[in-house]
Amino acid sequence: MPKNGSRIRNFKNSEHFEHDDRTHSGNTRRVSFKPGTHKGKKWNKPMMLLDDADIDMTGSVGPHMRHKGSFRGRGGRLISPAPMSGRGPMRKRLNPGSLPWYQIIIPYGAKHPKDVILRSLLSFVSPDVFIPHYYKTNGNAAVFYVDEFKLAEKLLHADRKIVMSDGFKLMIIVRNAVPNVVVDADMKEKMKLTMAKRYNPATKALDLTKFHADPDLTEIFCALFRPVIMLAAIDIIAENIPDLEALNLNDNKLHGIDHLKALPNKLRNLKILYLGDNRIPFLGSLDSMKSLPLVELYLKGNPLVNRFQDHEIYISDVRKKFPKLVKLDGVELPPAIGFDVQDNCALPPRQQSFLVDPAGQNLVREFLTQYYAIYDGESRQQLLEAYHEHATMSLAANYLTNDSRNSPTLRLNSYISNSRNIIRITERESRRRYLRAGKLQVVSFLSDLPKTTHDLMGCAVDLLVFTPSMIVLTMNGLYKETTTNGNPMRSFHRTFVIVPNAGGGFCIINDMLYVTNTTKEQEEKAFAAALPVEAAPAPAPPAAPPPRPRRKTPRRRR
Amino acid sequence: MAEVIAKNIDNACETAEEFTKIFYKQVDNNRHLSSKLYLDTGLLVWNGNGINGSDKIQKFLMDLPASNHVLKTLDAQPISENLVSNKLSYLIQACGDVSYQNDDTKKPFQQTFVIVAVDGKWKIASDCFRLQVPYS
Repeated sequence: MPKNGSRIRNFKNSEHFEHDDRTHSGNTRRVSFKPGTHKGKKWNKPMMLLDDADIDMTGSVGPHMRHKGSFRGRGGRLISPAPMSGRGPMRKRLNPGSLPWYQIIIPYGAKHPKDVILRSLLSFVSPDVFIPHYYKTNGNAAVFYVDEFKLAEKLLHADRKIVMSDGFKLMIIVRNAVPNVVVDADMKEKMKLTMAKRYNPATKALDLTKFHADPDLTEIFCALFRPVIMLAAIDIIAENIPDLEALNLNDNKLHGIDHLKALPNKLRNLKILYLGDNRIPFLGSLDSMKSLPLVELYLKGNPLVNRFQDHEIYISDVRKKFPKLVKLDGVELPPAIGFDVQDNCALPPRQQSFLVDPAGQNLVREFLTQYYAIYDGESRQQLLEAYHEHATMSLAANYLTNDSRNSPTLRLNSYISNSRNIIRITERESRRRYLRAGKLQVVSFLSDLPKTTHDLMGCAVDLLVFTPSMIVLTMNGLYKETTTNGNPMRSFHRTFVIVPNAGGGFCIINDMLYVTNTTKEQEEKAFAAALPVEAAPAPAPPAAPPPRPRRKTPRRRR
Repeated sequence: MAEVIAKNIDNACETAEEFTKIFYKQVDNNRHLSSKLYLDTGLLVWNGNGINGSDKIQKFLMDLPASNHVLKTLDAQPISENLVSNKLSYLIQACGDVSYQNDDTKKPFQQTFVIVAVDGKWKIASDCFRLQVPYS
């Protein structure tokens, strides 16, 4: 036992460098674990070896202040608040923190090879065995992590007990701390390979039990209770196995699981979720996942389960959150008695096209073919013929909500800068200016937009008004930008108001376009149909007079 | 003349703001009253399903699951007056996200209205709603 009490709390700045630990001063620092805070700069130089961990210093506290109420940090305290005289022999104690990760620092550990140190420590704690996570040297020190309190405590007891070949005793400092990790492409790749190994395509099930302890991941700190790592894992799953049905996250020391709210959006088919043997404190922690249509859930081994004295109430409360549940903690649930309310949110099936008057079909086809032959062609100048002298045109553009994809091709700058979104543009003057009026202005504006190829076969087309004096046509679909880097696809919604012109043909008098990014779903089906439209003769005269509709539609307004 | 046109552009925008505010509030919260916003002969085309007349539109809307629309983009243009029976009419394009009952996922939607002033009230002559999904 060291004479001056707990090494953890009292070690001084110089201690990592001098083997003299007998100096004693009031310069004691209170170190507490606070997730997410980083005040490393306050530390003096020798402490830098610790700064790969989340540490917070709340000022220095002398030994006489130990019993103050403020002693206990939210993140769990580091060591015992047991009385310390500062002189008398002390039992070293380590208290379990809220996160079961312990940093083991061995000052001067870098002097010895890794295997020598680990062998010495393993033989000391024998017959127990620990897995040294994330072992590295940092300056003179060797640092690694263990994930079990019992072992951290045992290692703490090894402080100054092991005499090394150079005659020095091995110093060991143990702190309740979690390694900091940056998730980079390399790490994601490793995670992906490890996950692939743990995936069962037959049952669409992914087993991530005790993921951090996977033998393939010992080099990196890959603990799923860290939000960044969990989010990266969810992204990898969503990208590679979006139709995942079962996910096992047992025994991952999960604590706060708010970030799991990404699950319902990204893994819509997830039906079975195992969260057993974690540290989820409250049933309410699961609220973020309520919209998952879970049929099976495993929660055993979490503090939240022990909060319920009555198991029936526990079952009923869990069921309130996941009404479709049939199995909880491995036990089949008795069928619940519900209410006969409509709970299917099935939408009416969608149709690709609606024609208010079937007689308009040819005209629509002809118009779109001709218009887009020019629009997607070399020069949009020829569109002049297609527009009414007093035509108006406006473009609005916006990004998709919660689009987590991050690619330069998703930038909509060339549209947004011209976007007449009147939610944003509130000044009358600007609203007028963003509305392009007159066919010259309209066509010159269209000519400046990125060059395109439209997926006309994949377009939804609705003919809303079809009378001799007016046609209203709306399209919904996507196109590819042909001269932009990466040839990004865009989704668009466009409405044309078309009127007869003096020459017996037709021309566009209103043109309203909305542009946004395509969804993944859209991209998968894009340009799927063969494109006979592409083969159509392009240089046809623009908006040539189509046959005049003979029939009046019932939609004609008085 | 130019002054009149400019005023009409301003008015189209302001009407569109007011109209969409009321429209989505009705559809999300008071759907049983929604059909009042349509002309008797109004047309709703919902994802390619055409519904003619305000009575049928009412029934169709009532059968849709409860919804919540969030508008993100709005645009409006005046339509030449002599086109719609010499009545003031506007073209309105509203885009945003919609989520339906029991399903928290937000789906992007785009919707275009032709509204027309009849006896001092704005009425929907045609309403074209599309979810942003593949249609091929």
